[in-house]
Amino acid sequence: MMNLTLTAQQARVEAERCLQCFDAPCEQACPTHIKIPKFISMIRNGNIIGAAEITKTSNALANVCGKICPEEIFCQSVCTRGKQDSPIQIRELHFFATQEEVKKGFSKTKPFPTLNKKVAVVGAGPSGLGCAFELSKYGYLVDVFDKGKPGGVPRNSIPAFRLADKELESDTKFLSKYFSLKKKTVDGKAFEQIQKLYNATFLAVGLGKDRPIGIPGEKMKGVLPVLQFLESAKANPKRMKLGKRVVIVGGGNVSLDAAATAKRLGAESVILVYRRSEKEMRVWKAELEEARKQGVEIRFLINPVAVVGKKKVEGVKCRHTKLRKQKDKSGRPIPVEVKGSEFIIDANNIIIAIGQSIAADWLEGVEREKGYIKVDENFRTSVDKIFAGGDMIAGEGTIVQSVAQGKHAAQAIHEFLSGKQEAASGI
Amino acid sequence: MEYKKFKEIEIYPARDLSYNFLGIQFENPFILAAAPSTDDLEMVRRGFQMGWAGAILKTTSVEGTKVDLCYPMMSAFEHEGRKLFGMGNIDLISEHHIDKVEYNVRMLKKEFPAKMVAASIMAGRKEDWQHLVERLEKAGVDLIECSFSCPQGNIGEDPGKMLAQSLSATELTARWVKEASKRVPISIKITPHVTDIVEVARAVKRSGCDALTASNSIQALMGIDIKTFAPTPSLDGKSTYSGMTGPAIKPITLRTIAEIARNVDIPIMGTGGASTWSDAVEFMSVGAGVVEFCTVVMHYGFRVIDDLNSGMSHYLDEMKFSSPKEIVGKALPNIVSHNELPRKRMRNHIHENLCIGCDLCYVACRDGGHNAIDQLENRIAHIDWERCVGCGLCKFVCPVDDCIEIMEWI
Ligand SMILES: Cc1cc2nc3c(=O)[nH]c(=O)nc-3n(C[C@H](O)[C@H](O)[C@H](O)COP(=O)(O)OP(=O)(O)OC[C@H]3O[C@@H](n4cnc5c(N)ncnc54)[C@H](O)[C@@H]3O)c2cc1C
Ligand SMILES: Cc1cc2nc3c(=O)[nH]c(=O)nc-3n(C[C@H](O)[C@H](O)[C@H](O)COP(=O)(O)O)c2cc1C
Ligand code: SF4
Repeated sequence: MMNLTLTAQQARVEAERCLQCFDAPCEQACPTHIKIPKFISMIRNGNIIGAAEITKTSNALANVCGKICPEEIFCQSVCTRGKQDSPIQIRELHFFATQEEVKKGFSKTKPFPTLNKKVAVVGAGPSGLGCAFELSKYGYLVDVFDKGKPGGVPRNSIPAFRLADKELESDTKFLSKYFSLKKKTVDGKAFEQIQKLYNATFLAVGLGKDRPIGIPGEKMKGVLPVLQFLESAKANPKRMKLGKRVVIVGGGNVSLDAAATAKRLGAESVILVYRRSEKEMRVWKAELEEARKQGVEIRFLINPVAVVGKKKVEGVKCRHTKLRKQKDKSGRPIPVEVKGSEFIIDANNIIIAIGQSIAADWLEGVEREKGYIKVDENFRTSVDKIFAGGDMIAGEGTIVQSVAQGKHAAQAIHEFLSGKQEAASGI
Repeated sequence: MEYKKFKEIEIYPARDLSYNFLGIQFENPFILAAAPSTDDLEMVRRGFQMGWAGAILKTTSVEGTKVDLCYPMMSAFEHEGRKLFGMGNIDLISEHHIDKVEYNVRMLKKEFPAKMVAASIMAGRKEDWQHLVERLEKAGVDLIECSFSCPQGNIGEDPGKMLAQSLSATELTARWVKEASKRVPISIKITPHVTDIVEVARAVKRSGCDALTASNSIQALMGIDIKTFAPTPSLDGKSTYSGMTGPAIKPITLRTIAEIARNVDIPIMGTGGASTWSDAVEFMSVGAGVVEFCTVVMHYGFRVIDDLNSGMSHYLDEMKFSSPKEIVGKALPNIVSHNELPRKRMRNHIHENLCIGCDLCYVACRDGGHNAIDQLENRIAHIDWERCVGCGLCKFVCPVDDCIEIMEWI
């Protein structure tokens, strides 16, 4: 069920279905370990604000996650009730609770301790915010650097029809008093300064760069890298002009968001091409269904080989693919092109959604692994006093995982700053 | 990625819920009732660590008292999918005698000096009652509860009858107990199974005892297997009456507490059917000073204390009450006799925009009310105000919250 807020009665009835398992598997499966049976029992007993507090104690982006966390791969996938009939709508329940809290006004938090130490957080996305909030609970003075308003990908790229600004702001408004936001894009020089001025730094700049597809014609007018497309579509939907026929290349959630967005912007035909089959798509079911409902056509086993057109995109030349038995690093069968199977799909725009990488070149000095920043189990990078988390350490993940990493990194930073741990990881 | 173990930091302040009742400082109004959950030292410890304000250790008696248990002892009143809507038991008092309970009291008071540690006792002879009181006071209890109401396997005076069902026996025994006590308040745990609960309360008051625990489980026959005709719980096809507890008995307890509080000036400890913080508020609003819990703990564990505390805190904030004590008796002025009730012309009001068209109100009113609801073609219920008397039945058969209201007809 997407985009629905439960009514009070629906929430109560759903809460009554919860078995209240002891040592509940859902709680383990949530990366931020929200105390799920506890908050659900509170909804059941009419203590909605208590339920919101339990949720927010564990997850700094409780409203955002309440709206768009893929619960079916986390908490809900192990729900005991699911073994009996159908699993509990956990995400919907905590969204209900935290939105009720928003209506009533945020509960007062208790005064946090004050430590005379400063930590810089670079990037105000889910991971940066998760870390900043946790650090401020310990008592650190936290400065968060970002070029714009806080929220990261959920603010800039996730389409408004899935996450409205005011839902995101239910979290960012609450969090804003626990750190100070420095509106600044960090570059090499700033990074050097930060290292001098702060006792520790947490990097969470995410994956800001679209990965190029590397086919002829990629730079042609009408070819749009996906983040760029989603960002401008979100920032300025009125000014965003698309042609009638749009082709999206990719097989992940981001490509589905792009497809649904293109449809909403008025494209008549939106075709998503993916080089493997439906089984290999890394998408959440709900999103796939939503895209199809919007009228997005999804074609499998197709690989684009060149952009067709003179000055502007006119189409995309593709080849059919076959799946080998052999698997690649991701554990999925390798697609191979079928010789002589070329064909052209007409298109006015092509959106490339085949993945993202780290945008920050000022991070040269920090060791990477497979393109991502390398950290140890305490989120320490190869550089002294520099910690990192979120998509930049693990590749495209989820909001809840990013928040959880931020939270855990904060604990590690605290251990380090209180002398319980070495500064550098030695990696 | 597997994360290291994480310690969650509390970010919301814990509201102070403490207050004084019966001369005892309670950390919050939530007490563990005399039951299996308080029969074992380790269990009470866990309950205290998790935040319960106090416990009444399961009823004990003098050494040598025979406690002849039989199993299975538990049963359930399942109602519309809720398995433990009511819980039945044919348990007896604790198998631990006073020596063990004394030890438990000592240990608990030592480890948890700020918690209310009470013991529950039951005996037959005067010297046994008094002996129990003396030993428990010496062991350091904060309060003694006397079970005059164990509905099963009576070991009191009249076989088949509970002590609290006899006014004279109640008063006499309560006097013995009170006489023996030097230091701590005595509460008499009564039964709602009497013709006039007020008379029983008066008898306790006359005895000089400090409080009443109202009330206890409700005697019940939990069910019959319709193929074998074995009653529940079946012990080789035989059974006896159970004590029913849990949500199903809450309204009965509410009435019992209210009736005592309206008529007799005596502190009350509430027990019988409370499962949530709002149940506790209800119990307190009709006169209970603290609330004891048993079934909900046996069902979900001691952890329910978190919601009790949190729910009570938010409730007090919302009501701008400074202490749980302010709730006590708040509803009493509103409980009046039938002839004192306002006589107004009431009518149902259906919010047709919320109606989902089940027509349950239609059939209920047709066959059980005043045939005042019409079934429209689009299945939306429509009220005929000429025929409606405002009885209120439809409101409760309607599955939708707030779809039907009963209001004054002007
Ligand atoms: C289109 C799309 C849809 C998604 N949908 C979902 C979903 O439905 N559910 C879900 O759970 N996950 C979803 N995800 C994944 C999720 O958004 C990410 O895993 C998560 O946002 C990563 O958080 P982060 O904090 O690591 O990085 P980001 O969210 O990328 O935030 C990084 C922040 O760092 C800032 N920054 C970058 N460089 C600098 C610099 N030099 N100086 C200062 N600041 C800088 C950026 O402005 C940004 O605010 C989606 C991702 C995308 C792209
Ligand atoms: C299994 C069981 C054993 C009980 N044993 C005792 C007892 O020994 N003494 C007593 O006074 N009450 C006893 N009770 C009654 C409880 O203390 C409590 O008053 C009753 O269960 C009603 O409260 P509840 O609805 O919260 O369960 C027992 C209840 C149960 C379910
Ligand atoms: S944040 Fe996600 S995983 Fe955690 S409880 Fe909410 S929906 Fe489930």
